Formats: sequence, C-alpha cells, structure tokens
Amino acid sequence: MISTLLKTATAALLLGAACLGAIQPAEAGAPKDGKKYKIYLSLSYSGNAWQSEAANIVKALAATPPYNDLVELKEVISGADPQAQISAYESMIDAGADGIVSFPISATALNRTIKRGCEQGVLFFMYDATVTESCAYNVSYLSSGFGENSAQALVNALGGKGKIFLSRGVPGNSVDQRHTDGAKHIFAKYPGIEVVAEYYSFWDDRTTQQETAKALAAHPDVQGIWAQAGEYGAIQALLDKGGNLVPVTGENSNGFRLALADPAMQAKGLTGVSAGSPPAQSGYAFKLMMEILTGKRELKPTNIEYPLPWVPADKVKLCSGDTFENGCNVFPKERVPSSFVTEVLNPVLLPELNIESALNGTPVKGATIQPLPAEVIKAANEPGINCSRCEAAKDQYKLTKIAPTVN
Amino acid sequence: MTVMNENPIAQAGFQQSADTRRSARVSAETVSTLAVAALCVVLLVGARFISPSLGSWSQVETVLVLGSFLVVLSFGQGLVILTGGLDLSLPAVATLSGILATNWVGASDPGAWCLLPVVLLACGCVGFLSAAGIVWLKVPPFIMTLAMSIIVSSLLLGYTKGTPRGAAPDAAVALMKGHLLGLPAPVLFLVGFVLLGWLFQSRSVYGRYLYAIGTNVEAARIAGAPVTAMRILPYVISALSAGFAGLMLVGYSSGATLRMGDSYLLPSIAAVVIGGSSILGGRGTFLGTVGGAILLTTLGTIISAIGLEFGLRTIIEGAIVLVALLLLREELFQKLGSLWR
Amino acid sequence: MSDIATTGASPPAASVTRSGPAPRHRLWRLTHGAGLIFGLYVLLYALYAYQQPRALDAYAIAALVNNTAPLALAAAGQTLVVLSRGFDLSIAGVISLTNVVLAVYPLDGPGGALVSLLVCLAIGGVVGAVNGWLVAYLRLQSIAATLATMIICQGIALVILNAPGGAVSDWIADELTARLGSVVPVSGLVVATVVGLWLLVRRSDYGVALYAIGADEPAAALSGVNVRRTRFITFVGAGMLYGLAGLMLSAQTATGNPNSGTPLLLLSFAAVALGGTSLSGGRGGLFASVMGAATLTLLQKVLFSSGVSSFYTGLFQGVVLIVAVVFSGLLSRIGERK
Repeated sequence: MISTLLKTATAALLLGAACLGAIQPAEAGAPKDGKKYKIYLSLSYSGNAWQSEAANIVKALAATPPYNDLVELKEVISGADPQAQISAYESMIDAGADGIVSFPISATALNRTIKRGCEQGVLFFMYDATVTESCAYNVSYLSSGFGENSAQALVNALGGKGKIFLSRGVPGNSVDQRHTDGAKHIFAKYPGIEVVAEYYSFWDDRTTQQETAKALAAHPDVQGIWAQAGEYGAIQALLDKGGNLVPVTGENSNGFRLALADPAMQAKGLTGVSAGSPPAQSGYAFKLMMEILTGKRELKPTNIEYPLPWVPADKVKLCSGDTFENGCNVFPKERVPSSFVTEVLNPVLLPELNIESALNGTPVKGATIQPLPAEVIKAANEPGINCSRCEAAKDQYKLTKIAPTVN
Repeated sequence: MTVMNENPIAQAGFQQSADTRRSARVSAETVSTLAVAALCVVLLVGARFISPSLGSWSQVETVLVLGSFLVVLSFGQGLVILTGGLDLSLPAVATLSGILATNWVGASDPGAWCLLPVVLLACGCVGFLSAAGIVWLKVPPFIMTLAMSIIVSSLLLGYTKGTPRGAAPDAAVALMKGHLLGLPAPVLFLVGFVLLGWLFQSRSVYGRYLYAIGTNVEAARIAGAPVTAMRILPYVISALSAGFAGLMLVGYSSGATLRMGDSYLLPSIAAVVIGGSSILGGRGTFLGTVGGAILLTTLGTIISAIGLEFGLRTIIEGAIVLVALLLLREELFQKLGSLWR
Repeated sequence: MSDIATTGASPPAASVTRSGPAPRHRLWRLTHGAGLIFGLYVLLYALYAYQQPRALDAYAIAALVNNTAPLALAAAGQTLVVLSRGFDLSIAGVISLTNVVLAVYPLDGPGGALVSLLVCLAIGGVVGAVNGWLVAYLRLQSIAATLATMIICQGIALVILNAPGGAVSDWIADELTARLGSVVPVSGLVVATVVGLWLLVRRSDYGVALYAIGADEPAAALSGVNVRRTRFITFVGAGMLYGLAGLMLSAQTATGNPNSGTPLLLLSFAAVALGGTSLSGGRGGLFASVMGAATLTLLQKVLFSSGVSSFYTGLFQGVVLIVAVVFSGLLSRIGERK
C-alpha cells in the first residue's frame, strides 16, 4: 500500500512541479544588467477606475524615456488584507527593491515592515492613503481639506439650512473618518443644516446609488447631498426617483462633472463642487522617487501635500483632445466611462501623460519625462493618518478653497 | 473515526423518520413562508415609527427594485443548496456578465439581442465547469465554486486591465428603469420571475428530482432520476441567474465594476436559509427564499434610516437576523403546522 | 470515509451504506491528508528557495511563519467545526473583535500579555458558546446562526473602534513575532502547541465523539454520544482558537482594524479543504489544515518570486486549490481501497 501511495504522491508532486515550473522562465528571462532601478508598484486591490488609473499612469511614466531605460517596474496586487501587503513588502525587500510606490491598505499595520525596508535602503512612497511610519514618504491630498471645503460649498449652496445626506466611504476607514470629521465640523456651525441620513457608499457608484435610494425612501424631501467618491450614483438615485435634483458635492468622476455642466440637470436643481482624491498622486509620487534615486533632488522622508482639485459647477470645461489643455477638466462621455476619475492628469506635474496612459498604461508617443517643480508642499500633521505621535494643528479644518457666504 | 458506520438500525431509523415527516413538512414549509411574508409586513409597518415616510408605497417599490437582484441570485443559490451544495461563485459570475455586457454589447448596439444570450451562455459555461469539478473530480462544492470565483475574478481583472469600459446595453436599462402600467418594470419582472421560479422548483419534474437528490442521492438514483444531469443542472441555472442578475445590476447603475457582485454572496445564502431551506439540502421552497430576500432588503432599508452610528446599526441588523432565525425555526413550524391541520 | 461524502451532496444515510471500516494502520492515518499537503508545502518551499536564495534566512522563515500563524490558527478552529459537520462564519467577527480590544486596551509587559491572552480566549469562548447554544441546543443551522453572530461581533468591533488605529502593546507586538535564540519563531511555537494539544484531544472521548457526529449524527446518538454537548464544546473550542488567531494577527499588525478578520473568512475554508478535511464532516484533521494555511501563505510568496503578472495570480491560486483537493481526494480513495 505504501509503495502505491508513494508512487501516486510522487506523480502528484511531479505534476505540481511541472505546473509551477512552467511559470519559472518569466523570472529567469528578466534583464539583469544591474543598471536598472528595481521599482515595485504595490496595490492593495484593483478593480475600480481610481485604482487602475493610478497604477496605469505609473506604468506609463516608467515606459516614458528616459525612465524606460532606467526602471524595471513590477506591479503587485495583494488584496484588501494588510497581512497580504506585509507579505508582499517583505518579498520586495528580499528581492532587492530600490523603491516601492504603494497604495497602503493600512496607516499603521505596515510600519514594522516599512522600517525594516528603510534600514535596507529601500525608498517607500505612499500615494493617496498614508502610513504613520516616519521613514516613508507620504504623497497625499488628505491634509488638503476635502471634507471641510466641500461641506462649506454645500452649506453655501443651501443658504445655510436644509436636510442633507452624508454619503460616506468605507466604514472603519481612517480616510473616510478624516473627511467626515472635517465636514461635520462645518455642518455643526449651522443649526439649520440637518443631517437626516448617513450611509456608507464604499466609494462605489453602484453602492452609492442603492444606499441613496434607501435613504430617499425614508427622506424624499432631502435638500442636499454631501458625498465622497461614488457621487455619480447619488445623482442617478435622485434621477431614478423622478423628482428634482438637489445640490451635490462629490469627488472627481467624469460622470459627475458632466452632470454638473449639463444644462438640463442644472435646470432640475443640480449644482455643486467636484473635488477630492486625484489618482494623479501616484504619478507625482513616482516622479519624486525617481528624482531622488537619480540624484536630481534632495528630500528627506516627509509628508507631501498634493493640492486639492476644486471644480465648481461653473468651472467645468469639456476637453476636446486627450489632455487637460486650456483649462479643460472633463472628457466627453464617448471617450471614457462615467466612473473614470478625471483628476488623473495634471498639466503642471504630469505633462507627459494623456487619457490613453490613464486607461491603458501606455506612454505618449514622443513624450519625455519633464522635471517637477522644485518646491514641494509640506503636509500638515494628521494624527493617526500621516504621523503617529503628533498633534493636529489648531486650525486643522480651516477653509482653503471657499469662504462662507452665509452665517 | 467511522465507528458508527454500517449500523442498519440507524439507517432504517433515519429513512423511516424522513418518510413520516414528509407531509408534515410540506405544510410546515407553507407556514414558514407565510411567516416570513408576515415578518416583512410587520417590519414595513413598524418602520413608520422611525420615519413617517417609511412604510409608504414608494418605499415598497424601492425595496422590490433593490431586492430584485437578491431574489434572482438566491433562486440559483437556492437550487444549489437544495441539492446539498453551495455556490460561492455567484458574485464573480454576476460580474462576468456585467463586464462582458458592457464590453461586447455597450449602449444602443443593435446586436444586443443576439449578444446578450452569448453573455449568459458564457456564464452558464462557468457554472458547468464548477459542476464538472464537483460531479466528476469530486471536489467539494464549497471549494470548487470558491476556486472558480477566484479564477473568474482574476481573468476579468486581466481582461479589463483593471478598468471596465463601455456602457450598459439599452435592453438592460429598459428592464431596470422602464415603467409599465404605472409600475416600475423591475417590479413586474420580479412577479414574473417568482412565478416561473416557483413553477420550476415546486411544480416541475426537474424540481422533484432536485428535492429527491438533496434528500438522498442513492435513493434518487434507484428511483430512476437522471442523477448526474440533475446534479449539474443547479450549478448551470445558478450561473445563469447570477449572469442575469449581473445584467440587471448593469442596467440599474448604467455600468459595470469589477466588484459589483461582491456584496451579494452572504445575503444570497442568508436569504435561502432564512426562507426555511436546509443548508444540507432536500428541503426549502423558492417562495420562502423570495420572502427571505425581501426581508433582508426591507431590513437594510429600515436600518439605514435609523440615525445611529454604523457599529450599532450593524449590531441591530445581526440581532434581527438572529431573531428571525429563532422565530422561523423548523421545530416551531412543525408544531404549528400540525396544529393547522 | 466514503468517497461520496466529499461531494457534500450526500445525506447521512448514503454515507452509511457506502462506507467501509476505516483503514486501521496508524501510519496511514497520520500521513493521509497531512502527508500530501506537507509534501506540497516542502515542494513549494524548495521552489521558493530556488528562486529567492534569501528564503532560507532565519529572518525570512520567521517572517513567513509570523504571516502564516493567524490563518493557521483560524483554520485550526474552523477544522473543529467542519469536522462536526458545520460551518463557522463567526471567525471573521471574533478575530476583528479581539484585534480591536487588544489595540484599544493595550496591557503592557508579560503580565499584561497573559491577561490579553486570557481576554482573547474569553471573547472567543463566549462567542463560541453563543454559537454552540444556538446550533446545538436551539438547532439553528450553523451557517445561519454564525452569520448572525459574525454580523453582531463586527458591529461591536466597530463600536469599540470606528476607524483603524490604536496600538497593540509593545510586548505582544515584539515578543510574539520574535525568534527564540534567534532561530525558532515564537509564533511557530504557538501553532505547534495548538497542534500538540489537538493530538491529545483527538484521542480523548471528545475527539472520538467529534468525528462520530460529523460522520453520522443519528448513528452517533444511537451509540450513546452526547451530540449536543459535543457540538457545544466544539464551537467553544473553535471560538477560543479564533481568539488566539486574533492575538497573533494583532501581534503582527501591531494595530487595530475593525475589519481585520474579514479576509480570513473564506481563506480559512480554503485552508481546511486544502488540508484534505471533508467539508461534509467527519474526516480530516487539524494539523492538515494548519499545513493548508501555510501552503496558501507560501503560495503568495512563490507566485511573487515567479514573476506571474499580478492580474493573474488568482488564476494560479484557484487552479492550485482545485488540483490539491482533487489529489487529496484521489489519495484517500486509494487508501480506502487497500
């Protein structure tokens, strides 16, 4: 019996080995000239427009001359599980990474691994989401006040009073908490503003639409919606209901911006502001990292602020080409899906890219990497978000984009 | 570890008890289905205390539209569970159909009427592959469908490179957004779907085969049921209904995302079990499942109207599910069922 | 050990008619299931070490074991419930709950760690007792009852900590991820202790009863097994193992996250099945599941160093899962025929 068993087991293992061996050459064939920088792009999850655009522009930049000869870029998607990303970082450090550009799934869980990487000389650049480990660079708009500024815009649009919904992000997420704290800080100043429903959109159009529909069933008389990403779903839910639209503030989806600029929607009562998280942060982080690696920039690990995109309804302008030119900031709906996040382009920081880079990760023909502006904006302290033992500034929620028009 | 096997008394005892309970079971199932429906009504009416706008016809419409996805998904899940399996690939298959529909068909494409069936066919193939692994390779359904789910999601991620494109086919939008006879089209569709599903599961010969297989495969084989085909069928139907639900989701939100099905996995199982089916197979009705799905959706609508923090709302939701399970306990209905007659 | 039981579609009666007496060889008992998965693990590790020479460092091994421990312990707990022919979804809730409790109420020093350990075991034990009461005494279906307790536990975790944060005590975070004599990872010892305890328990009356109710409940009841008590104890034991998994997870991440248990839910079932434990009860073992969990964790490393496009890693994971389960089923059938 034992011998049959052994035979079968051997066969099984050999077959398994053959399967896994088949994928081996991919590594053996990689160039090993020793001159290329080994850069890893570590995503926690993929599958929404925001995440894939952020990844695509890094790929496009890495393929744009002269980086195409300098960089060996590898993308790793580890899933919405801090442990998996810890394991991925460990593997990257062991594989001799020069730099890791990453969307971190947790602000604190990765710290120990990052610290070990820093000790081995790996540069860590986090985009959008941040970590509190001080040896990593955080490139993020989080400190730029999305929550409070958009809340003030909604208050202004409502004249200081009305029933509103808060369409939040992912429950138990520190980014969502920061935005909501900022917004509530503003709403609390206006006794006429009544938050009648608060629900979680998971930063997804479809979920936002369903959750907004549920809230509308209980409160059909809502007068305004403050939303995080997924805002286009809120408008669709209002349209499904068949009644009027209301002022909506939200993030940067193409669908939302087109709706803000649509005269028919405006006639129904839609107004608002498009602001929030730009995928372009990843490209900015990658270029900063490359400038440090290639010795073009001296910068100690720090928190760098990416400016808050801010496009009120009257500033929405349709692009006719492939890039943001002449101040345009939204694309026709035939070009991109409604969930496409427009703020993936930036004429100042990322002039090398166009929408094809964002959609497919391909470099623009003839483009070369342009130097970044010398100055970086230092981000304010956000305890638990970009620093661990620190205090927030007294004016943490100060308005930067809009002034109150009502008292 | 198999100390108690080959025990003829136990075997006889088991089968006998199964037989005598059969008629009692049918009425117990009827009672449990009615009880789920009653619970929905109680919840809806009770919701008025939370907000005066709740409990209105407009809220009922919202619940039915939002619940229609779950009803379609849990029809397939219910059939699989009826034969003693479990289908964890529903979210991935729904996403597959959503992505293919937006990529291949897109808005206002005249080819929609022949391409949409092809999309569903692709979903059916996934279901068939799962079933093949379960029936012929003897992989447990839990693992086979979990693995298929991981594989399909991974292929979709590679296929779309992370960015789903295209718009919802007009046909799907019409189904979810249209109005007919003053009612939203999805509500009318739901009524038709429930009727067909009920006819299939409770009135057709295939349905009877599935019950027989779920109760006892060997007995069903001896009784002449086409066992292999009938063990494959539920997975194919489940994948088809997941695919259809994917089209509905795309029509509802006018686009596909790569995680659009994820939030329906546990609810699809919960709806079936709350509706009175046994997770081990052989027992349960589609009407019960429909009740379970509507109950869960109603609960979600009401919970989101309560102005409590998310953690507390979650606790309340869990507690209500638990209370529903306790109220709808099988033993309770067997007793009630016998009183009824 | 009927083959049809692996399909999950068969009622007890069918398995009774089909099953023969289990093979009596001790050696076979020990190796079957666990042997296959152990072999697969060694093979994968060899492949990993071949691609990544640093894989044999004491540090790399410890990092891998630390990464494996939470899933291994969670899968160990899940195995108990699965052996009794049940499913336990509360695993996600218990791990999240213990994690946030450790992060919000850190207790420093070895004494604090001991209290924390007891708190974790108590949380898991209480949730397990509720599950056990619902399933064994009120006769709810395990998948449904534990779904409800999972939702409730996650709600409580969110109430305690509504966004990731907090800090696990330094002693737990440092010592439980450290190496003894700079070689043996502490987390590995914790898992080894659990496996050792299991080897004692499975020979006890409770162990025999557990396999009996999983294989054929009516028959077990007829032969005098206290089905309810056995099932109750199983859920309590499983809950305590989830608590321990939560402790090890917290030691590794050093922080609290109210959703930290969710990713382990489906993975724990995958680990159990990969270890060859039948999801329809009565067949398999805890050590095999621990190895299954270890293989899943290692697979991520191997796929990373193999350079598979990250879009398609799921494809390989899924295929490996199916292939491993097919082979383990095949082997156990060959074993039966002898």
